[in-house]
Amino acid sequence: MSIQAHGVSWSTAGRLIVDNVSLAITPGETVGLLGPNGSGKSSLLRLLCGLRRVTDGVVTFDDAPLAQLSRREVARRLALVEQSATTDADVTVLDVVRLGRTPWRSMLAGWREEDSAAVEQALAQVGMTTRRHQSWHTLSGGERQRVHIARALAQRPQELLLDEPTNHLDIQHQLEILALVRRLSTTCVMALHDLNLAAMFCDQLVLLKQGRVAAAGTPESVLTSQRIFEVYGVDTVIERSPHHGCLHVHYLPRQGMSTQASLTPYV
Amino acid sequence: MSPMQDHLPRIRHRQGLHLGLIVLALAVLVLAMALAVSIGEIHIPLATTFKALSNALGMSEYSLDRIHESIIREYRLSRTLVAACCGAGLALCGAILQALLRNPLAEPYVLGISAGASTGAVCIMVLGIGGGAVGLSLGAFLGALGAFAVVLALSRGASSSPNRIILAGVAGSQLFNALTAWVISTSASAEQVRGIMFWLLGNLGGVRWPDVTLALAVVLPGFVICLLFARALDAFTFGQDAAAALGIPVGAVRLILFAITALMTATMVSMVGAIGFVGLVIPHAARFIVGTAHVRLLPASLLIGAIFMVLADIVSRVILPHQSLPIGVVTALVGAPVFAMILYRARPPL
Repeated sequence: MSIQAHGVSWSTAGRLIVDNVSLAITPGETVGLLGPNGSGKSSLLRLLCGLRRVTDGVVTFDDAPLAQLSRREVARRLALVEQSATTDADVTVLDVVRLGRTPWRSMLAGWREEDSAAVEQALAQVGMTTRRHQSWHTLSGGERQRVHIARALAQRPQELLLDEPTNHLDIQHQLEILALVRRLSTTCVMALHDLNLAAMFCDQLVLLKQGRVAAAGTPESVLTSQRIFEVYGVDTVIERSPHHGCLHVHYLPRQGMSTQASLTPYV
Repeated sequence: MSPMQDHLPRIRHRQGLHLGLIVLALAVLVLAMALAVSIGEIHIPLATTFKALSNALGMSEYSLDRIHESIIREYRLSRTLVAACCGAGLALCGAILQALLRNPLAEPYVLGISAGASTGAVCIMVLGIGGGAVGLSLGAFLGALGAFAVVLALSRGASSSPNRIILAGVAGSQLFNALTAWVISTSASAEQVRGIMFWLLGNLGGVRWPDVTLALAVVLPGFVICLLFARALDAFTFGQDAAAALGIPVGAVRLILFAITALMTATMVSMVGAIGFVGLVIPHAARFIVGTAHVRLLPASLLIGAIFMVLADIVSRVILPHQSLPIGVVTALVGAPVFAMILYRARPPL
């Protein structure tokens, strides 16, 4: 097991956001965190990487408690891609990816060959090698997300946590980012909204409801009509797609809700 | 050549270029300081200035005009050195606060420091608190640190969000400015008001050698410590959480750098009064020249700040015959248009 959460809870301003969550991430897998808005996906990711301190329970990396590791030790094995993080500073793609080497460089150490190698490999993995000198402010949303992933990969992490990496992206770029994440050999845990994309790109899913784990396991075991109704209050029909072989969730309109098909043409 | 092989030499090449820029800036600084020592009510030839400097350092024994030599030694050299330290310190603080708070408008005074210093100074000057045992500078220093403590308390500790600290700084500044205005309007005589105004706008007139020692003792070690945190400051590019995720102990780094900034600003303000615009404008100008990486930005801000302040001091002394303007007036008069120009030229592509 790589990252494990044992009965982890977190509350802020008197509200319990993450409630007694236990999970274990298998090395090499891509795990999707699903759940409605406010169900605690982002908070759980932040607890897993130690950016927030658990109010109860323990997070462990290979059985070592996270609380006993320094920030730098954590950053050397685990990288986080935040939700559409941006900056006003006039930085280039290369500047951003080089930030990923921060945990590996001491206060006074210069830039080493291995830093260059890590940065080059990361740029190549996201296909931004030729655009290294481009300014951050001229990049599209999808490109910025790719650069963030490259920055995270330059950290040479064993685990990569991504907080809604496809947020605000069009469908082409959503597919591109998820395919990129899927190709990585690194263990990935990502918060996602789209159930169909989660079913296509994740090995394991964790479904959260009000801070608790409602279900965890393979997409087939987690994505059932009944459970989606319990968590989201939405009627669905779920079947295996004849086109790509993964599960596909069809959303059914509630009674009284009009859809394209039910609209009567205006004559 | 593959991109990877090409990577390191390019970095080395850029490092060489930046070393060259630093040497150039140092040369300009020395020249500006020599000019500042030469120019004034009594004009002293540049050659005499350099000879006097060499004498002062014990490297030579030129025979010089006694009056010239004592003007240089007693007044102008100390004044110029403090001006340089002050510009360097304020610009450095500005660069650090802009990075930590991720706000391009952050500057030393945003933390309420100058407002607190003014209140402290006014309490000593007008109300006579301390009965003469506490000097004006010490009063200003204590006021500055007091205001900083209030701002930190208002923002509930150094670990809160950047905007909170800026809001707390604005609130703290208003509070202390109001206190200053209250004391002035209820207790000060016309003569005192004039003196206070001069001090509030920045005044290098009363500077002597002990001030130089203090200024150097604060700015130089402060700079070295800040430089050690250059990489940590880079990691704040995408915010506090991003910095923490890159392995930076965010709380400790912020606390150390805030403390250094507060100490540096409080020392400067207590010596020469509130000099605006340097902390705000110079880091932006420096970014324009050397980019955003702090390992280059911090030395650049330091040097450009020093050069700017020394030149501003010259202007403040020569622009009006037989009197000098408060230096804060000059820095703002020059700084505001320069800032506008930088904003205009550096606007992002739409």
